[in-house]
Amino acid sequence: MILLPLLALLLGFAAAVWFKGFVGPVEPVNAQYFAVGCVAGLDTLCGGVRSGLEGKFYTDVFVTGFLSNVLIAFGMAWLGDQIGVNLFLAAVLVMGGRIFTNLSLIRRLLLAKWQDSRDRQKRAAAETPSP
Amino acid sequence: MAGSQWVVPVSVLAAVLGFMLTMAWITVDTRQQRIRMLPPDQQSRINTPTLNVLDEYQKLASEVAKLREEKTKLENAMASQTNQAKLLNESLQEVKLWAGLTEVEGPGIAVTLRDSTSPSSAGIAGGDLIIHDWDVLRVVNELWNAGAEAIAVNNHRVVAGTSFRCVGTVIMVDNIEVSSPVVIRAIGDPDTLFGGVNIRNGVLAEIRSSDPNMVTVTKFERARLPAYTGSTTFRYLKIPESKP
Repeated sequence: MILLPLLALLLGFAAAVWFKGFVGPVEPVNAQYFAVGCVAGLDTLCGGVRSGLEGKFYTDVFVTGFLSNVLIAFGMAWLGDQIGVNLFLAAVLVMGGRIFTNLSLIRRLLLAKWQDSRDRQKRAAAETPSP
Repeated sequence: MAGSQWVVPVSVLAAVLGFMLTMAWITVDTRQQRIRMLPPDQQSRINTPTLNVLDEYQKLASEVAKLREEKTKLENAMASQTNQAKLLNESLQEVKLWAGLTEVEGPGIAVTLRDSTSPSSAGIAGGDLIIHDWDVLRVVNELWNAGAEAIAVNNHRVVAGTSFRCVGTVIMVDNIEVSSPVVIRAIGDPDTLFGGVNIRNGVLAEIRSSDPNMVTVTKFERARLPAYTGSTTFRYLKIPESKP
């Protein structure tokens, strides 16, 4: 279940490599802001997986969150360059911190799930008497 | 399964993110393009090749040697004018000889130290198989003790203030990089010097116990050692004016 998003990520990689073949890379000026946007996207993705595991997932919240986070990060990086303040640091710092938090929560949730299923199996084994 | 309705939207956006990441990825091409966006002074800083200080150093060292030689000639010319000055010059040349500021030649021995090529075997630490700064220092020390009159390490003259140390993995003799094989040539009585460095339990014996191939000692009839080319300028010391 958790593997499907990862697979999709790789699919996206492949698609972009194919796409780059005849369009060429993003213009370097935009690429820097684009990269900050990518960090925001990564954060939202982790958040989506987390809320999904917690059972609190809403598709509309997730999709709008992804788009707005990417655009806000992009815009902040751009604005920062315009006014000479490294605002992209704020985006990277916040998003980076949240990626860590989300990943650790995902880990805990998965661990809890795994332990749950193991306990259930044990209990089932104890209930059926062995011959 | 009701609990996994998140998988499809997350996967779709994961694909989008993967696409974005790859587009933003810094490749060799885009790196070059980014360098072009920098201000010209920063661009030139990136694009200038590394300085070759050694070449510059050697050029300057040869210039110093040339100037010293000229100075000696001038001193000689001046001394030829009067008898008194001649005497003065004689003692000056003597002091220069003693200080290692002139080229010298004579018989002696050459000690070659090189890193071992045999793999580190049991009982011998890997560090013992390479030549260290202190190995060079101890050999030089042993040679002075055995009566060497002039010593040069890899064609760099050793004088009273010469330092031997290591920076990272490089041996430095007076801030000049020296690497294996290190050839230490000393002028003096070849037999005495030979006996001195090969003394039982001496420094060479110690190195040979790691790998006998790391050391070779040869006697020579005649060799030329270069003059010291380092700085001889004093900034702090002066001769006291009054007697204590």
